[in-house]
Amino acid sequence: MIWTVVRVGLLRMWHGRTEILLTFVVPIVFFTVFAFIFDEQIGLGKSPLVNLALVDQDQTELSRELLTSLAGDETLRVFSPGRGATGPSSFSSVDEVQELVLEGAIPLAVVVPEGWAVSLTTPGADPVSLQILADSSDPVAAQVVSALIRQTSGRILAEQAGQLIQSVLSLSSDQFAASAIAHYTKPVGIEVIDLLSADKANPVVSMYAAGIAVMFLLFGAVGNSGTLLEEEENQTLERLMCSELTMTRLLAGKWVLMTIVGVVQVTVMFAWAQLAFGVDLSGHLPGFTVMTAVTAGAAASFALALAASCKNRVQLNAVAIILILCMSALGGSMVPRYVMSETMQQFGKVTFNAWALDGYIKVFWRDLPLVDLAPEVMVLAATAIVLFIASRLLARRWESS
Amino acid sequence: MTSSPERRSDFVAEGERALIQGDAPPDRALRVRAVAKRYGRTTALESASFDLRRGERLALLGPNGAGKTTLVRCICGRAVPDSGEIEMFDQLLPPSGGRRKLGFVPQEIALYPDLTARENLEAFGRFNGLRGAELGEAVEWALEWTGLAERAEGLVKNFSGGMKRRVNIACGVLHRPQVLLLDEPTVGVDPQSRDRIFLMLDELWRQGTSILLTTHQLDEAEQQCDRIVIIDHGRAIAEGTLRELIANTVGVNRRVTFKLARPGPTLEGLEMSDDRRQLVAEVEDVALELPEVLSRIREAGGQVSDLEVHSPSLHAVFIHLTGRELRE
Repeated sequence: MIWTVVRVGLLRMWHGRTEILLTFVVPIVFFTVFAFIFDEQIGLGKSPLVNLALVDQDQTELSRELLTSLAGDETLRVFSPGRGATGPSSFSSVDEVQELVLEGAIPLAVVVPEGWAVSLTTPGADPVSLQILADSSDPVAAQVVSALIRQTSGRILAEQAGQLIQSVLSLSSDQFAASAIAHYTKPVGIEVIDLLSADKANPVVSMYAAGIAVMFLLFGAVGNSGTLLEEEENQTLERLMCSELTMTRLLAGKWVLMTIVGVVQVTVMFAWAQLAFGVDLSGHLPGFTVMTAVTAGAAASFALALAASCKNRVQLNAVAIILILCMSALGGSMVPRYVMSETMQQFGKVTFNAWALDGYIKVFWRDLPLVDLAPEVMVLAATAIVLFIASRLLARRWESS
Repeated sequence: MTSSPERRSDFVAEGERALIQGDAPPDRALRVRAVAKRYGRTTALESASFDLRRGERLALLGPNGAGKTTLVRCICGRAVPDSGEIEMFDQLLPPSGGRRKLGFVPQEIALYPDLTARENLEAFGRFNGLRGAELGEAVEWALEWTGLAERAEGLVKNFSGGMKRRVNIACGVLHRPQVLLLDEPTVGVDPQSRDRIFLMLDELWRQGTSILLTTHQLDEAEQQCDRIVIIDHGRAIAEGTLRELIANTVGVNRRVTFKLARPGPTLEGLEMSDDRRQLVAEVEDVALELPEVLSRIREAGGQVSDLEVHSPSLHAVFIHLTGRELRE
């Protein structure tokens, strides 16, 4: 009897190819996506380069050597102010790089303040720390650069200390303590200044709220669009098409419904995030409204196109799980895109999760005005329109034959 | 009983000729003329022609794959015929749209199970163009008509099969169509519910609705419909009242089977079974001819233990015309 139960189960699985797809293929696909994201050995997956700007206010030999060494590090990409810029010290103004960090063009800037080298080499001088102006939405970048600065500055200072060794060998212990070389043994001070989250309550939560909201927006929309296939299966669609309802109106009605449900779904989630975690929803309502509307609209069109291209609900569920999980993984809903290689970050841009998250980050993290959401809004709106047209074309199979 | 190919082809030719020559009654609700439809290499309809008269109940009978569903889809505008014409009240129907006077009830329970009966009726009423007070009145009428007024606020998914069927039909007639197409409206319902459904349809019919229903139930076609169209291989092969169909196919004679107590004699004009225990006679008038046949059997030494009189039926007509059982 037990074996009969097993046999029946295996036979049903064999006859239901979609179940096999879900059981065996989805984990492989999903694993592969994450392997591409994290594995450095796979062609796409080199470690991400950290973009940064350098500001040398110290203008000393030591500061120039430090910044030149940093610029030559293969894990960093130094952001130059424009054509004609020749080196890492091209930025002279802290305000200029600060603006770049605030806009999200770069995750951080390293500033060597005036007097830094002197503070290191002058006995009794007040310590002056290097500054990292950071956007803590990418916490990894600041840590990576801090570690590199310590390593690089340590090496440079050790070299300079070696040159001084000869001159200090003859000093007494009191004279040695008072000499400059003693200062070379001190660690370099680094001050990380978070430009964005300082005045925000629990700011990282808003990013994760957006990531999760977009992923579940997609799942919710696909669940809703599946009613089309249910209606086809139980002949309700046949009946509807015999009435005065046209296919365009039917799809438009479902799109409006899914968009409204999506907007409410995301709003409820952010409202909870405000209540429970202090995310400032009420302070960002215009940007939130715009981003949520276009994202929900795009998700609704995506779900409609998917439903219109599937034969039945089982197939829709299988395809949707694969697509949504992959899009969410690549687009940053599951793993922040800054940990991905540059190639994968660019690849993630084909998902609208990435565009939606970038938009929400601009709203909640960077406090940018509505006009700065234009790229994200246009991409998402265009996606919504194109996918709706695609769904309409695909739905011709349900019209008269 | 087997079909007679010669008789069948004569009958088909006669029927189609009548339609092509325009001999059909002028007061037509629906006229289907030489409609053909192919899907790839498959011919769903070859040249189907028939009429639904105004205020008539017409049964569309045919074995599976005969083309009934395709024909209904063509009438509803869900399939575009490759050739042929469909007229409603002498107006040519466009490929799609223009069917405000038509109501359609699909075979499946095409409802929203997680809506109440009232919500379903309101939704399908709106889809069929009803609004405001007109919609409200139609919904109230439908609830009374189906006998579901007390269950108006109940979710359809919790209804019995018969109740769902009633709501299913009501959603197709809310806009009070003049022509109603029903695709097997009583599939899977118990006899009581079936009777209830036909009472509902009778009410519509009395109010002037012309009804076309496809069915696998021969007794429904016999008892509930005024005329019958038999369709096979994509063609309407016979059309008429039950009496006309019988007269034109198997004939009106009764078939009398005599069971013998022991193997009996062979008699002229009577069929003898292989085991010689059963004789079959065809009689025009049972009261007049039966005593005479019984006397002949007795005189020849046969001892009749039992007898059965079979009236010519739609089943016999159907087998005669199609050569196969309805469910094949």
